[in-house]
Amino acid sequence: MEAQARPHWLKTVMVRQDVILLLLFCIMIAAFSAANPRFFSIRAMANVLQDFSPVVLMAIGQTFVIASRGIDLSVGSVLGLAGVSMALVIRAANEGGVDPWLAITLGMAVAIGVGVVVGFINGLLITYCRLVPFVATLATMGAAAGMSLVLTGGTQIAGAPKEVILLGNATYLGALTVPVIAVFVIIILSWAFLSRARFGRWTYAIGSNPFAARGAGISVDRHLIKIYLISGILAALAGAFVYFRLGSGSPLSGRGGELNAIAATVIGGVSLQGGTGKLSGVVVGALITTAVLSGLILIGVQPNWQQIVVAALIALAVGVQGLGARGGRR
Amino acid sequence: MTALYEVRGVGKRYGGVVALDHVDFALNAGEVVGLVGDNGAGKSTLVKVLSGAHEPDSGEIYLDGERRSWKSPHDALEAGIETLYQDSGIAPDLTVAANVFLGREILRKDLLGRFGFLDEAAMRKQAHAELERVGIAVPATSRPVSRLSGGQRQAVAIGRAVAWANKVIILDEPTNHLGARQAGEVLEVIRQAKAKGFGVIFISHTLPHVLDVTDRITVLRLGRVVADAPSSSFTPDSLLKAITGLSQA
Repeated sequence: MEAQARPHWLKTVMVRQDVILLLLFCIMIAAFSAANPRFFSIRAMANVLQDFSPVVLMAIGQTFVIASRGIDLSVGSVLGLAGVSMALVIRAANEGGVDPWLAITLGMAVAIGVGVVVGFINGLLITYCRLVPFVATLATMGAAAGMSLVLTGGTQIAGAPKEVILLGNATYLGALTVPVIAVFVIIILSWAFLSRARFGRWTYAIGSNPFAARGAGISVDRHLIKIYLISGILAALAGAFVYFRLGSGSPLSGRGGELNAIAATVIGGVSLQGGTGKLSGVVVGALITTAVLSGLILIGVQPNWQQIVVAALIALAVGVQGLGARGGRR
Repeated sequence: MTALYEVRGVGKRYGGVVALDHVDFALNAGEVVGLVGDNGAGKSTLVKVLSGAHEPDSGEIYLDGERRSWKSPHDALEAGIETLYQDSGIAPDLTVAANVFLGREILRKDLLGRFGFLDEAAMRKQAHAELERVGIAVPATSRPVSRLSGGQRQAVAIGRAVAWANKVIILDEPTNHLGARQAGEVLEVIRQAKAKGFGVIFISHTLPHVLDVTDRITVLRLGRVVADAPSSSFTPDSLLKAITGLSQA
């Protein structure tokens, strides 16, 4: 047996990837604020939190998926499809004179239904049809994006009652909207289920060694279907929240969303090999991704450069992980 | 005397290939039976039938004299048959305690337990106790298995199987990739499991280990049982000959 030497406190801090990331995030905020003082204002923070919501929701789903050694490329398209489906339902209900809150409830049900259907299809393709997650979710990504265009004819769907805008934009305590508060609740619940409950334990076990998980009597297929359902539902919620914020659904919203979600996840320290990764890191990863996106605009970089920067961040994060793994494991 | 675990006349084909052809195999309580054979002899297929991973095309399975059939490994697990598959028994990213309790997690006693929240402290403590009970030098149970040496990993995997088994333990190549001392420790754990009255099926290519630890050896060749005799009746040479089928005259 090896001697168990107590590690130096500095080493503990260095090993805590979420702590390092949080420091990095603070440095970024300071740098952006120095470049443009408007960045560090309650209003700008409120905006960042609203941008952060869809990214972190998709990233949470992605964390469950990647921790189980999968990937979900369909999240951006699900966001878009849920948003436009909801917009269409609420517009129709509104025109039909339905009570706006009932219309919103119906719209939410339809949005979540979209997440359930796509998530379930992903799960079945991966477990029952034995497609690798990359291919299965690439297919549903294309299908969902196409469906959004079919439903809308490629146009934006407006016609939301004012209650929608109110729900999405009224702030409490300066910077918190109802969706942002809901996102914080979801973060806490997801953290609890991933790190403290059997659901998370089995997720990591499957990602770490699916044969061991199966051998231990875990029904791996059922668990994987649940994971893709969660990812689909969270992406659909992200679509609903974007709709609440804008008051309209666009088939183009969510395009490239999978890139941001995967960036947040890998920056947050979740290994694409599966079996590891903490939600605390992913939340900070989503903060960093969002701050980069907003910060770039505020310091005057053209929005078209965003995707390139996010892609570079993914490559950098995975590269750093590789170095860490080589140094840390024997 | 009825055998603890027995299969009779088991056959299994994969497409046109006959993997098992009327195989009989029996194991008594407190007995270690070695299952040996060359690659392709049908060893791993028989292991899969015994562990519930594959259903045989024909033949019967008896546990404690009762006719049984396994639809999944889970069925066999529930009936008290633990299998440690070659190189796949452990989730390296999880801690020792999480691995020992994988699939059988202890939940909290309070309301949170109903939602599947784990009682980590209880699992750490019990994992330590269980591993010690089966004679394994316990590494810190809160460590990820990936930080352990190969021998320690295997010890945890076997400890897990022995701790949970209540009738039969199937060990597929448990001493593979292990140094002499570590392999010796594994063989010691097998002896202890036998002393506790478990039936142990030991599958290995390492014939000295097989001759050392088993009471009886069943030799498979080309899907058939070609020898089944007390280990003491074999010499390393005669066992090798039984396996390869050379000089059978």
